[in-house]
Amino acid sequence: MHPLLTVFLIFGIPAGLALGWVFLRGSESLRRYILTRIAHTVPMVLIQISIVFFVLRVMPGDVVSSTLGPKASDAARENIMEALGLDDPLIVQYFKFLGDVVTFDLGDSFIGARRPITDELGERLPATLELIIPAAIVALGTGLLFGTYAAIRRKRTADYSLRLYSVIVYSMPIFWLGLLLRLVFSVWLDWTPIAGRIDVVTNTTLERTTNLLLVDSIITGNWAAMRSVLHHMILPAMTLGLVLSGVFIRLTRINVIETLQEDYVISARARGIRERVVTYSYALKNAMIPVVTVIGLQVAILLAGAVLTETVFNWPGMGRYLIERISSRDFQAVQSTVAVFALFVAMISLAVDVIYSVLDPRVKY
Amino acid sequence: MATELETPPDPGQVADWELELQKVGIARRMFMARKWYGTDWWFVAISSVMVVAFLVLAAFPQVFAEYDPLEQVGPRLLAPGERPEQEILVVPIEGPISAIADFEVGVRTPVAVAIDTPSSEAARDEAERITDEIAASGGEGRIRLRIQRFETVPEALEAVVAGEAVAAVISSKAYDAVADDFPMLTNSGAVSSAEQDATSFPLGTNQVGQDVLSRLIWGARIAIFIGFSASIASFVIGVPLGLLAGFVGGKTDRAMTLVMDSIYAFPGLILAIAITAVLGPSIFNIIVAIAVLYIPTYYRIVRGQTLQAKEELYVEAARSLGAKSKVILGRYIFPNVIPSVAVIFSVNVADAILTGAGLSFLGLGLPLDIPDWGIDLARGQEFIRSAWWLITFPGLAVMLIVLAFTMMGEGLVEIFNPKLRER
Repeated sequence: MHPLLTVFLIFGIPAGLALGWVFLRGSESLRRYILTRIAHTVPMVLIQISIVFFVLRVMPGDVVSSTLGPKASDAARENIMEALGLDDPLIVQYFKFLGDVVTFDLGDSFIGARRPITDELGERLPATLELIIPAAIVALGTGLLFGTYAAIRRKRTADYSLRLYSVIVYSMPIFWLGLLLRLVFSVWLDWTPIAGRIDVVTNTTLERTTNLLLVDSIITGNWAAMRSVLHHMILPAMTLGLVLSGVFIRLTRINVIETLQEDYVISARARGIRERVVTYSYALKNAMIPVVTVIGLQVAILLAGAVLTETVFNWPGMGRYLIERISSRDFQAVQSTVAVFALFVAMISLAVDVIYSVLDPRVKY
Repeated sequence: MATELETPPDPGQVADWELELQKVGIARRMFMARKWYGTDWWFVAISSVMVVAFLVLAAFPQVFAEYDPLEQVGPRLLAPGERPEQEILVVPIEGPISAIADFEVGVRTPVAVAIDTPSSEAARDEAERITDEIAASGGEGRIRLRIQRFETVPEALEAVVAGEAVAAVISSKAYDAVADDFPMLTNSGAVSSAEQDATSFPLGTNQVGQDVLSRLIWGARIAIFIGFSASIASFVIGVPLGLLAGFVGGKTDRAMTLVMDSIYAFPGLILAIAITAVLGPSIFNIIVAIAVLYIPTYYRIVRGQTLQAKEELYVEAARSLGAKSKVILGRYIFPNVIPSVAVIFSVNVADAILTGAGLSFLGLGLPLDIPDWGIDLARGQEFIRSAWWLITFPGLAVMLIVLAFTMMGEGLVEIFNPKLRER
């Protein structure tokens, strides 16, 4: 099975189940909402991919000479033009590209072993996922924990410090935080590996199926590999997660403050339930839903941050791939990668929205 | 805890003082605001000072920066505050000689150095300089050196003690390490009189010997230039589009909103990467790439506000009096829309600076001969093991400037729109 397919299934299956539930059991308004949501996504992705295509086609640099070098023969030039489809009219190229994206046959890359780009992305996308999912967990965990704390300590020192913290992490260039963490934990303290996803030695023992190394090491029972993967994952995930945590802290804080004023919280207090229980199991539980939903909106920011984080930690994900291919002028790969990014963001936001609209009965459309 | 049981005020209810704030002008409102939410006031005050400081730095970098940001002005990778290693002249305490200028003219004076050090060159350069000086003042003769090379620094110093050489030229660090063993010798200062007053570099030097502080100061100029230009460009394009879409409505509005939403939903940095990859590195291109990202930000806000303002009574009144669409849009709607856009401008500048730094960190967007924080960070990361200051200070500068603009923007939003204020 193609690794790229596996990845899409990971998100596709829950979203599909949710969809199935909606159409079998859901209310009329929910059904309409989801249909509109899907109907809105399709043209948006189409527009995004079109923008990518036309932006890259007005490239002033000559793709052919930069691929072949200036001394190439005319025959070689024509071969390349034909292989890239550059001799077709623009509109034909455009529809061909759309077809390529839809069928997921993105052509061959132009450097190295000239492997199909789909295969190369199949190795890179799981790496990016293995970065952004732990990062999202870090961001959400920190956000819920400290956001609630700020809410119950409202207008006191802790609240103001957390507010300052969230403004500061928001202002931090993500690559700088990454470099600083690397400087302290990898160089000075020597606690974490300096870069990469896994030890070189351990890597040879790991059998890859999904390219999500954590999943691979667990299903093959390779605990040494799992330890190495986790060890490598800590700093990049913390970097990306902490930068986003500020947003979640603020959101959680506002929502908890609001739910703490609800009648059921007041009546729970009146019944003498301990404040801790009231806060965490009455208020936080309900305040969490809007906060978690925001994850869907943050996917774009998460991926943009992942490009920078991957560069700092030499993490072989999609972002690193994009930058590598830009510097080697692999035109086909750049275009396809950006298109896959667009598709990926759209699909995740759609999946998240569908899942939450099913899970949260309070959402009205 | 008893204090926890206090019921917070109802968020839906607007306090009296907030209503009072609505009645006064902007200047009064700012002063009155201080009384109500102290921290916001301080946020704005501190961040405004920071913003002004950065603007002054950006306007006159040549005044504040001691060195040319593109010139090699010192040794490579000098730590902050560390004095550059000098080549010093070591002479007998009781001797008559304290500088190369004291050497006898025309005689080949024996000078001891340790091999594989730049000492002999420093000594020759200085001898040559003095010779030139003598010639310039009409004198005759040359300062001539007989360089004696020794395996180690102590051996070179032994030679001076034994009288085989008149003086030794060695690096100050090497001398400090063994100075105690040679009580009869003394450090008579830097060999080269040009280096005599060499200062240390407050933030160190980078891998090619440029002054980190000077590059930081010049970097403020480029960051602010990119931030402002990109934000102004997005503003100039996004605001009219938003006005138009909101005012015209219908299919035009829907089509434009769809396109804008598509750009908005796209991971911004990746779109900018694609654009700069296409356009190639230059300041203008990085501004274009960033400006495209933030057009939807202005568009969305202005469109929403226009839709609201369109329904207001005063617009209806103007229309019923026969005002043209152009007049309604320009004189009635635009002035009511602009304040909400103006306050997000500051936050937008911060975002643009952050994106710009990210792009140049990735090696896209800016030519390499520009003193930029992102480029400095990208180059500095190779030296993470040996030179912590190269990756610390440029990032700190980015953070401070973004922090200043963000805090100022958010503070202003909260002061001018108390209703939007976070509870």
